[in-house]
Amino acid sequence: MLDAVRVTKEFGPKRALDDVSLSVRGGDIYCLLGANGAGKTTLINLFLNFLEPTSGEVRINGRDVATAPLETKRDVAYIPEQVMLYGVMSGLENLRYFAALATGEQRTRTQLLDLLASVGLDTAAADRRVSTYSKGMRQKVGIAIALAKNARALLLDEPTSGLDPHAASEFSELLKRASASGVAVLTTTHDLFHATQTGTRVGIMKQGKLVEDLSNDDIAHADLQALYLRHMRA
Amino acid sequence: MIRLIARRELTELWRDGRLAGAGGLVALLVCAALAVGWQRQHEIAAERTAAQVLDYDDWVSQQERHPHDAAHQGMHVFKPEPALAIVDPGIEPYVGSTIWLQAHRQSELKFRPAQDATGLQRFGSLSAAWVLQVLGPLLVIVLGFNSIAWEREQGTLRQVLSLGVAPRQLFWGKAVALGGAVTTLLVPCFVLAAAAVLYASSAAPVPALARLGWLAGAYALYFGIWVFVVLGVSARVRTSRASMTTLVALWIVTVVLAPRVIADLSRRWQPTPTRTEFEREMQHDLNEEYEHAWREQFGTSVRWGPDLPLDKWGISLRVDDHAGYGVTDEHFGALWDTFAAQRRFQEWAGLAVPILAVRSFSMGLSGTDFSHHRNFSVAAEQHRRVMQDLMSGDLIEHADPLKDRHFAYQADRELWRQVPRFVYDAPSVGWALRESWPGLLVLALTCALSAAAALAAVPRQRML
Repeated sequence: MLDAVRVTKEFGPKRALDDVSLSVRGGDIYCLLGANGAGKTTLINLFLNFLEPTSGEVRINGRDVATAPLETKRDVAYIPEQVMLYGVMSGLENLRYFAALATGEQRTRTQLLDLLASVGLDTAAADRRVSTYSKGMRQKVGIAIALAKNARALLLDEPTSGLDPHAASEFSELLKRASASGVAVLTTTHDLFHATQTGTRVGIMKQGKLVEDLSNDDIAHADLQALYLRHMRA
Repeated sequence: MIRLIARRELTELWRDGRLAGAGGLVALLVCAALAVGWQRQHEIAAERTAAQVLDYDDWVSQQERHPHDAAHQGMHVFKPEPALAIVDPGIEPYVGSTIWLQAHRQSELKFRPAQDATGLQRFGSLSAAWVLQVLGPLLVIVLGFNSIAWEREQGTLRQVLSLGVAPRQLFWGKAVALGGAVTTLLVPCFVLAAAAVLYASSAAPVPALARLGWLAGAYALYFGIWVFVVLGVSARVRTSRASMTTLVALWIVTVVLAPRVIADLSRRWQPTPTRTEFEREMQHDLNEEYEHAWREQFGTSVRWGPDLPLDKWGISLRVDDHAGYGVTDEHFGALWDTFAAQRRFQEWAGLAVPILAVRSFSMGLSGTDFSHHRNFSVAAEQHRRVMQDLMSGDLIEHADPLKDRHFAYQADRELWRQVPRFVYDAPSVGWALRESWPGLLVLALTCALSAAAALAAVPRQRML
């Protein structure tokens, strides 16, 4: 579903991604670990066509992102570290707007409230202006937008960063439910615990290279923390 | 998609108070300017109509007197104030309103309203056109400076684009919203203007409303230019603060500074003579022409000399007048052509400084530009010639057969009544468009160019 094929991205003399290849299939939750500047967000930006690769190819559902940028975006939903919404509008109005942009359909208030309830946002909160929301509440609206889009793949850029443990746990559950329904999930994170608890696959990036690509079984057996630290220190 | 984006933009503009605050203020100012304009136009139109009637009554009720004395007294014609001066008084306050139709020479208009205005009155003479031309762009800037830049800063732009929205769709949505916001604010002003113009032009409302319609179109293009400029800058720069700074600088340059510089350049390119130079040169040519005509007709170069028989005074007046017509037409024509060339220069400079194009077109369609002024001057001069020819004709008819009592002859009201009332038919809408089309063309071209430039500023990466 999500494929990076020998992707290199350079910013002037700096190589942010160096010959990275990875593949995320439907049902996978691929957690990408790495220090700041390892190239995780650059990879997400390439999938979203916010950047163009210097070489290599990025594909969503078999289509090259560079040649079909709008079509490929219809298959994915993106949740950044900080879900940015319009502060003067309520959570419900934001969801209505983004969902309509994503799908072209206008949902009823009841449908929108149901979506928000499914991510843990009640009616009172849904009708409040987003400027009064906590980060966790914004993340929930972001997830509701992704659900409304009914996307076949999720691209998540450090989605649990700054969330309290309860909210992070709720978030993991939502990801697992999405994955169980066949959605491919690619998420970047610093959180090793989140990666082991949620991920079906884990990749470790270092200085633009994908230095580990572990499957479900590997994660179960490996001491991920030790492995990660070894790479970071090397 | 575009409608959806536009609706959200409008919601935000409404909720953050900018539409009601800044927009409401400008709309209120336009309405106030229209009210002041209506009052001014109403008073001036009534005064001039009354003055025209009184002056003609004075003419026809003259006592018995020598026709050439009457020709020297002449009469006055008063330039009617066009209905659309309510919207745009144009050059009206700075050019004369009255022409003295006197013997022997073509007069310029005198009695400029601006001459009589106090400093305070001048401050208060803001017009709807001035508010739209000068403050209108500021309104668009205030409403739209952060339209794209703020979304980029906040991160909502990434969010929107990640959904598969094309940057250009987003751009058009924002353009529709910004244009829609300005339209919403100005439509009530337009309706008010239409009502005022309708009242002021009750005798012939259709041409006045047609002119107002063309004006609305031109202002729509002008605001369209600013919408695209504002969105283009907002898309190009990285922050909303930089966007505001750039746009205000652009406003200062193109609305405040450049028009003055370009007006100066146009005068350098097509210099106009000083009044003294103009009159000296015209008088020189007139003297030559008079000399030629007198020598040919009467065998003398001395005008009105003692050797001119008194029975020839009537014909000599006619010969003298006719000899001067061509010269004055040529000199005034050349002077006015120079003004027209300066205007064309400024209109085409509107490609870079759009206020010049909209100003020219606005005055043109309001009937308050130099072309209309010239049209009135020519009509008044034609009337003067009719009057002078009638007076000379009467003297020819009543030539003194005894050659000693020419000055004793007196005409009566029968003759005065032969001079028709001065009736000025304002030029048609088509005429005004033929005179002012470059302004509209420049506005349309600039609007298309600014749209293209703004779209070029919205490639994918730059949006992020």
